[in-house]
Amino acid sequence: MIALESVSKRYGSKTIIHDLSFTVDKGEIVGFLGPNGAGKTTTMRMIAGYTTATSGRVTVAGFDMATQNEDAARKLGYLPEQPPLYDVLDVSAYLRFVAKAKGVPSREIPSELDRVISSCRLESVVRREIYKLSKGFRQRVGLAQALLGKPEVLLLDEPTAGLDPGQIQEAREVIRAFGENHAVLLSTHILPEVTLICRRVAIINQGRLLAIDSPSSLQKASEQANSVRLEVTAPAEPLREALLAVDGVRAAIVQSMPGSDSVQIVECQVDGQEGVEARIARAVAGRWDLHRLERQQPTLENIFLHYVGDTAQGKAA
Amino acid sequence: MSGMLAIYQKEVQTYFRSPIAYFVVAVFLLGTGYFFLYNVFMTGVGTMDETFQNMGILLLTLIPVITMRLFSGEYTGRTMELLMTLPLTARQIVLGKYLGAATILLLMTAATAINLIPLYLYGNPETKTILSGYIGFLLLGLACLAVGQLFSSLVQNQIIAALITVPVLLSFWFVGHLQSFQTDYILRGLFGYLSFAQHFGDFVRGLIRSEAVVFYLVVSAIALALNVSYLQWRR
Repeated sequence: MIALESVSKRYGSKTIIHDLSFTVDKGEIVGFLGPNGAGKTTTMRMIAGYTTATSGRVTVAGFDMATQNEDAARKLGYLPEQPPLYDVLDVSAYLRFVAKAKGVPSREIPSELDRVISSCRLESVVRREIYKLSKGFRQRVGLAQALLGKPEVLLLDEPTAGLDPGQIQEAREVIRAFGENHAVLLSTHILPEVTLICRRVAIINQGRLLAIDSPSSLQKASEQANSVRLEVTAPAEPLREALLAVDGVRAAIVQSMPGSDSVQIVECQVDGQEGVEARIARAVAGRWDLHRLERQQPTLENIFLHYVGDTAQGKAA
Repeated sequence: MSGMLAIYQKEVQTYFRSPIAYFVVAVFLLGTGYFFLYNVFMTGVGTMDETFQNMGILLLTLIPVITMRLFSGEYTGRTMELLMTLPLTARQIVLGKYLGAATILLLMTAATAINLIPLYLYGNPETKTILSGYIGFLLLGLACLAVGQLFSSLVQNQIIAALITVPVLLSFWFVGHLQSFQTDYILRGLFGYLSFAQHFGDFVRGLIRSEAVVFYLVVSAIALALNVSYLQWRR
């Protein structure tokens, strides 16, 4: 439904997006991750048709954004980073304007408004002027606006920003339900959100796509960067030497546990080999008291930092 | 068509939900009322000629108040991103906004008709001259609105948009005065042709010249076309 083919965006001599290609299919929610200034919003704006790509092709529902902008816009719901609201209008007048502008036939407008108002829980503020609304409500009015006209493609730039935990839960449900038979691209920097609702994750930094895959495959791919965590009652230096002697351990950081000099907490960087935990356990348990040993699954934070850190280092080198 | 209508309705709603429409109409009526009283009752001449001239200048200073928010307000409110990503063409956006502003102009103009009551009660005015004056006033207003709307699309800040529009409109109004300083025939003609005031003067005297009608319509069309191209270029 959304397809980017080697898309680049330049402002003057500065290149913001380098040769970006990916697709979002129907029935799929793709998370778009990247640090601030990575080019997420620019990419969203190019897909939405607010700005045009300098080179490459963006298609939405089969329509080329460069030449069939208007046709594509009919298939698109877009929530920009800051919800685009008219403060002096009340919520229903605002939503009615967007519905009309999206070409919803006038006899269907009331039912369409009811639909988005109930799915975004806006019943209590329908008659209120938008400038009087709290940040959470403003965000939800923005989401309601994007859902109007039953778009096939939904672009959400940080949709849960400014919501409280309960509201985040509700917004996620709305997005998840919508994503079952539509294409959704969702940018966020709340990482758990991505694992919860996205089928695939695209990570970008400095305008380049670093990885795009399911959250679980990304975790596997960065398994080499895994670590094993131990708690041992032992003197620090001999423990470190013993661990480094184990096959598969690349580094060990030993720190004494706060409030106790004898108990050490160790982070071992290990490679992907099987059985490395068992070898570590054997090496330690025979000599000292081993309290705990666990293999740490890479969290999305680690994966993200792993990819983003790589490009930062690459640039420095 | 429906897209343009949606924009139009939104603009009119916005004008009436903020103090702008009320402020502009009130100031305009106060000013017009004062000029009318002064011109008619102090001189005892039962025509609208002088009043129309004064209304023209008053209009130039109020038009920027109507037009300044049209696009600048969308930029600062971050709503331009919505407008440009809705299935609307630049032309629909520009025309919808223009017609919204023109509605306020129409309202201002219609409200001044109250002055005609005493004029017809106590005097014997020429209806055709008054009608011609009103047509000229509306055409002048439409041209000024288009120019104001163009400047509003070029700058982010509403106040700056208004501050640019006022001198531009005033120079179009007063450019005819430069004629007196020119001996060159072509320049004299050009300054006269560009003058908002001289064309308006014809209407006020009861003269509907096609040249003047075309002039105002062409000025509006050029400003609106530039407005559309600018929006397309921005994307």
